[in-house]
Amino acid sequence: MANDVWALAEISGGKLASISLQLASKAAELAGTLGGSSAAVALGTNTQAAAADLGACGVQTVYASEGSVYDEYLTQPHVEALAALIQQHQPRLVLFGCTNFGRDVSARLAARLGLGIEYNVGDVAADNGEITMIVPAFGGSQAVTMAFQGEGTRLLGARPNAFATNRVGGTATVESVPAPAAPSNGAKVAGPFGTEGAAEAGHLGKAPDGHDIWMPAASGAKLEEAQIIVSGGRGLGGPQGFAQIEELATALGAGLGASRAAVDAGWVPYAHQVGQTGKTVKPTVYIACGISGAVQHKAGMGTSGLIIAINKDKDAPIFSFWDLGIVGDLNVVVPQLTAAVKQRKGS
Amino acid sequence: MKIVMCVKETPSTTAEKRFGADMRLERRKEDAIINPFDEYSIEEGLRQQEKHGGETIVLSMGPATATDTIRKALAMGADRGVLVSDPALAGSDAVATARVLAAALQKIGFDLVLFGSAAADAYGGIVPSAVAEFLGLPLLSFATKLDEDGTTAKIERQAEVGYNTVETQTPALVSVMKSINEPRYPSMKGIMQSKKKTIDTMSLADLGIESGTVGAGASGEKALSAEKITTQRKGEIYMGNDGAAERVVAFLVEQKVL
Ligand SMILES: Cc1cc2nc3c(=O)[nH]c(=O)nc-3n(C[C@H](O)[C@H](O)[C@H](O)COP(=O)(O)OP(=O)(O)OC[C@H]3O[C@@H](n4cnc5c(N)ncnc54)[C@H](O)[C@@H]3O)c2cc1C
Ligand SMILES: Nc1ncnc2c1ncn2[C@@H]1O[C@H](COP(=O)(O)O)[C@@H](O)[C@H]1O
Repeated sequence: MANDVWALAEISGGKLASISLQLASKAAELAGTLGGSSAAVALGTNTQAAAADLGACGVQTVYASEGSVYDEYLTQPHVEALAALIQQHQPRLVLFGCTNFGRDVSARLAARLGLGIEYNVGDVAADNGEITMIVPAFGGSQAVTMAFQGEGTRLLGARPNAFATNRVGGTATVESVPAPAAPSNGAKVAGPFGTEGAAEAGHLGKAPDGHDIWMPAASGAKLEEAQIIVSGGRGLGGPQGFAQIEELATALGAGLGASRAAVDAGWVPYAHQVGQTGKTVKPTVYIACGISGAVQHKAGMGTSGLIIAINKDKDAPIFSFWDLGIVGDLNVVVPQLTAAVKQRKGS
Repeated sequence: MKIVMCVKETPSTTAEKRFGADMRLERRKEDAIINPFDEYSIEEGLRQQEKHGGETIVLSMGPATATDTIRKALAMGADRGVLVSDPALAGSDAVATARVLAAALQKIGFDLVLFGSAAADAYGGIVPSAVAEFLGLPLLSFATKLDEDGTTAKIERQAEVGYNTVETQTPALVSVMKSINEPRYPSMKGIMQSKKKTIDTMSLADLGIESGTVGAGASGEKALSAEKITTQRKGEIYMGNDGAAERVVAFLVEQKVL
């Protein structure tokens, strides 16, 4: 069996998601250790540009399939193209991201081709030709070492940000693959991103409750470098509530973070989102205000030095990975805290 | 309209979790609950039934005792339950689970199948898509809103960034997100009525599935060992608003960041 390792890139609306580069970097590294070759699979529009980025992360080949059918239908065209490629080339391992897209595609592939699949992988290593994976379990309290059983191609779903992007430089050989026809019975994307106001740069469309959703601001607060981050969630109740958090952050000289719920509600730009689909941060202290601590949020801040949580619900998931927890009303506690910090700093 | 809700029994999120000698999650009966994510799909099924009429069926694959969990869904208002249970199913992975659910769904028949977005034990979130593949049908995944009119099903879908609208012809498979609705609590009357509702049990033989294609032996992966992750957190709780701000300031000072 070949020792080739592949990465499945994520392209949506012609944009390559950053996890693709993480997966490509890891595929290149693993293929090197196993003595196989590395490749990335890029399905969608603007695949030539994607191929250049993926090649820069060290993969030798990019199987590129250009077509709008990938944006028009969920999952099924991707599975058609990938199944054919996997059957033809029989790689040992295919890396995908544990994102909505990655889960949907890999689950279908596993069912269709009878492939072993492991997901939520936090780390992977190849030693003496054996592949082992570390999968966090039980809310991140245990690290389980997993191995594949049996023969054939295996699918590995990695947590976002599990692998680093490694731009080693390089150019991949691009092999073009035809796009499949539209499925006769498919999940058709009727309203793609940016249906309203798409002309406006960075506008991604509307959330179900009518609020606007924006792309990352180019400037962006240096969240990744902040020593303290004050982060706010849905519990703040509205833009005014969020303003309280900004005041606390300013008093502490801290970075301003947010949960996806706060971003989707339009209270704060996307550039401040922490989590699986936002930024990964590791400050000395992370102060979560009115944030429940969903796994997707934890994915971006779970390795912070110290975690302070202010939440009125003592059963919130955040109270399973915290250092100091205030079970109280942030409308009372946060303004008092801001005042106390100002007083202490003598400002 | 025939609506099937796929419901998994999981250990309560607060229960202490341990691995057994076989390196599988030890499941204790007293900790068993409805997978919290499935309460939203049960609720959505009931709402669709209120709109369109028809029948709601709760389908679960699990140990014989999982009838208790199905009964909780029936107490919320579903009409009847189906449990697929067989000793050969122990240790099945997501693909095997999907194989079994797909076969059971074919046997039951359906216009609409609802799933949770993930199960709270392993956060896989891959069973719904694998079921769709076995059935040769599209999946409307990660729905935050569902409209179904008998011929078309349309969802608002939570994407990696933002949302989009996705539609398909019925019969349709849909996995739902938490934000889609607010699940109801079972009423006293619902609990009483649930005791009289039927739960049918199916075995692998009933579904015509070879035991070699499911269970621990057919699993494509296995756990070798587990280790406690040692990022020890202090886990201090301060109850109430009074003095909370002072405690945070003192904490920041202790940690030398203020
Ligand atoms: C594909 C995908 C990607 C995602 N990516 C991300 C991501 O990158 N980042 C992210 O954050 N989320 C992400 N999510 C969403 C995630 O699942 C949660 O929905 C989100 O994190 C919830 O945000 P929240 O904690 O602010 O809101 P909620 O879960 O609603 O929590 C609000 C909290 O505020 C508390 N509260 C309310 N009022 C008060 C008060 N007066 N005082 C004190 N506490 C109060 C409540 O008790 C509650 O715990 C993603 C989801 C998906 C499906
Ligand atoms: N054993 C099971 N019985 C019934 N439904 C299941 C089972 N396992 C998974 N599901 C369904 O698939 C969804 C996702 O589960 P998972 O892929 O295991 O995270 C759940 O929310 C359920 O709707």
